[in-house]
Amino acid sequence: MKILVTVKRIPDPDESLKFAGGGLDTSSSKWVPNAFDEYAVETALRLAEVAGKRDRLAEVIVMSICPAKQRQHVTQFLAMGADRGVVVDADDSELDTIAVSKAIAAVAKSEGVDLTIVGKLSQDNEGNQVAQRVAGLLNVPQAGFAATVKWDKNAGTLDVGREVDDGVEHKLVPLPAVVSVDLRVVLPTSIKNGVTADSHKYQEGPRLASLRGITMAKRKKVKVLKLSDIGVSSAGSEQVVAVAPPPARPSGQIVGSVEELHEKLAKEAKVL
Amino acid sequence: MSRRKPNSSPLGHLLHVLGEYSNSPLAQHPWVRKLTDNVMYEGMKAAVSTGKQVSSRFSQVVKVLPGDLLKRPQTSSRPSAFDLSLTEEQEVTREMLQRFAGDVLRPHGREAETSDACISNVMGQMHDLGLTAITVPESLGGLAQEPVPMSATLIAEDLGFGDFSLAVAGLAPLSVATVLSLFGTAEQQGKYLPTLADEAYVPATVAWSEPRAQFCPHNLHTTAHRSGEHYILDGRKTLVPLAADAEVMLVFAQVAGVGPRVFVVEAGTPGVTITRQRTMGLQAAAPCAVTLSGVRVGADALVGNAETWSPTAFDELVARANIGVSALSVGTCRAILEYVIEYCNSRVAFGEPVSHRQAVAFLIADIAVELDGMRLLVYRAASRAQHGRAFVREAHLARVQCVEKAMQLASDGLQLLGGHGYVCEHPLERWYRQMRAVAMVEGVIV
Repeated sequence: MKILVTVKRIPDPDESLKFAGGGLDTSSSKWVPNAFDEYAVETALRLAEVAGKRDRLAEVIVMSICPAKQRQHVTQFLAMGADRGVVVDADDSELDTIAVSKAIAAVAKSEGVDLTIVGKLSQDNEGNQVAQRVAGLLNVPQAGFAATVKWDKNAGTLDVGREVDDGVEHKLVPLPAVVSVDLRVVLPTSIKNGVTADSHKYQEGPRLASLRGITMAKRKKVKVLKLSDIGVSSAGSEQVVAVAPPPARPSGQIVGSVEELHEKLAKEAKVL
Repeated sequence: MSRRKPNSSPLGHLLHVLGEYSNSPLAQHPWVRKLTDNVMYEGMKAAVSTGKQVSSRFSQVVKVLPGDLLKRPQTSSRPSAFDLSLTEEQEVTREMLQRFAGDVLRPHGREAETSDACISNVMGQMHDLGLTAITVPESLGGLAQEPVPMSATLIAEDLGFGDFSLAVAGLAPLSVATVLSLFGTAEQQGKYLPTLADEAYVPATVAWSEPRAQFCPHNLHTTAHRSGEHYILDGRKTLVPLAADAEVMLVFAQVAGVGPRVFVVEAGTPGVTITRQRTMGLQAAAPCAVTLSGVRVGADALVGNAETWSPTAFDELVARANIGVSALSVGTCRAILEYVIEYCNSRVAFGEPVSHRQAVAFLIADIAVELDGMRLLVYRAASRAQHGRAFVREAHLARVQCVEKAMQLASDGLQLLGGHGYVCEHPLERWYRQMRAVAMVEGVIV
């Protein structure tokens, strides 16, 4: 089986935002991997490996759309254990959600992948559209916000658990498919591949790359493509009108009693 | 009731005496019970350490060809411009290690001061990262093609950011591997390095410091006398991390007529007594006092030969140790800086964050300036070592600066937290205790 995992670099969410020229100024940003993509790669690795052994059940390909010279995050995911990488060389200005989705679909098709795993959203713009669009473009089933994934190799299906308002919903998805993952997918027993013992407990959270993994990552193959190589035209269907910081919040008030709070909510805030 | 006869060996005798004492009415008296427990713990630990079976982990020797050894850097490889930017590999490594430091080392730092189980757990996790392998040649299962003092320095800094003492212990096996990779003979490298770089964790350590005034790493009171095909080691070592569990220990000793040299002493070698020490800030490194009394090792235990020990080689070894502990202190001082910035921005007094007071803000700025000075000195020394240039002087300057400033910065950090700095809810008091050790720790070799 081939698993394609999409990964993105984002400006460090812990840094304060800078604004310039009606948009975000990322010229001095520290770039870090999107956390949900780390969960996606961890999901793929847990599906592909037999815990405690060197056997692999699937090939894990990480894919990113970014400037080819700024692909440190791809190296990081290769160091975690992914087998090879695909980088689509494009600047952020060339991209919007549709272009990104088309590029992913094109690579998934050309690689002949059986499963595409996507983080449920990127932490910078929180679009939450890519998985759904890719599934649509590929015309394959999708399961969004996976909290658990159980792979039945014989049946060629995934049982994807999703946390919904009134409990956990399970979707039985035939492969090939697209799955987007949520935070809980990296709990110790969330992923079952049918070969690693169901009782096996992983460490919570995405794994750290080892120094050996980091050294080996340099030797793993990374294919670099251009948008034109895969028949995708650059952005144009979406237009960012303006990006601005939220207005500063007025300072709070400390009230002396519940009665005073009630009065202020009723008369000043007018919410009661 | 029959009484067992004491074993005729010194170890058996010690165990017998401990057993007799623990069963005596005096030992069970409530007033001396705690003392009894301590005597039993320390005594048994020492006895078990000295009685440890000779390690069989190193029975296999991998044949090493000259081309398999690390290639010394050529001075021509030095960069043409002053450039402190890191390689992508170093960047990714730092990203990973800083996360490890924050997720594993920092949260376990305090517990490890009182729990050996906690130390063992963290050491296993550190080894899983592949630390030791970075300095072992590829042909012996490691990752190195040439010495990597710069990468090892960055690793030390990031681990020191997590916890100084755990990092001292965690880097002990790497230090052993570094010394053997740089100075060991092909036979010694083939015997020890594949095991140290293996996936299974093998505790190893460096015994260098000695418990005496005016200790100098160049002038050792531990001696090694040649006796036929053997060397006889005598002397005392102190603050040896992980010594009680180490499968192999590098002992630094003075060889008459030659100078200071390094000997490989495997666990269980008769004449080695290991006693756990209680220290101010290094508890999480499991420090031990090591007494060598007529320890007989083969002539092949002497690390290296006349070729590997050039006239400046030992000076460079001291310099590498200076860089190692200095890098650790830079990491811990960075932790101090980040902690006090966050604290002083969130701690409100007189209606505003305390960082709005100049006395506070200026002190934090001073910490940042001094820290950058420490870091630059350390990086300069490590970078020169990486590029095969003279670095002994630079490493010494870095150590002097770090010894003095690390203590100062820890004290200032503690002061910035006021009374909160003194209580154990915050890590400042622990960092303060640890930074006192920057002057004393030897054997973190990059």
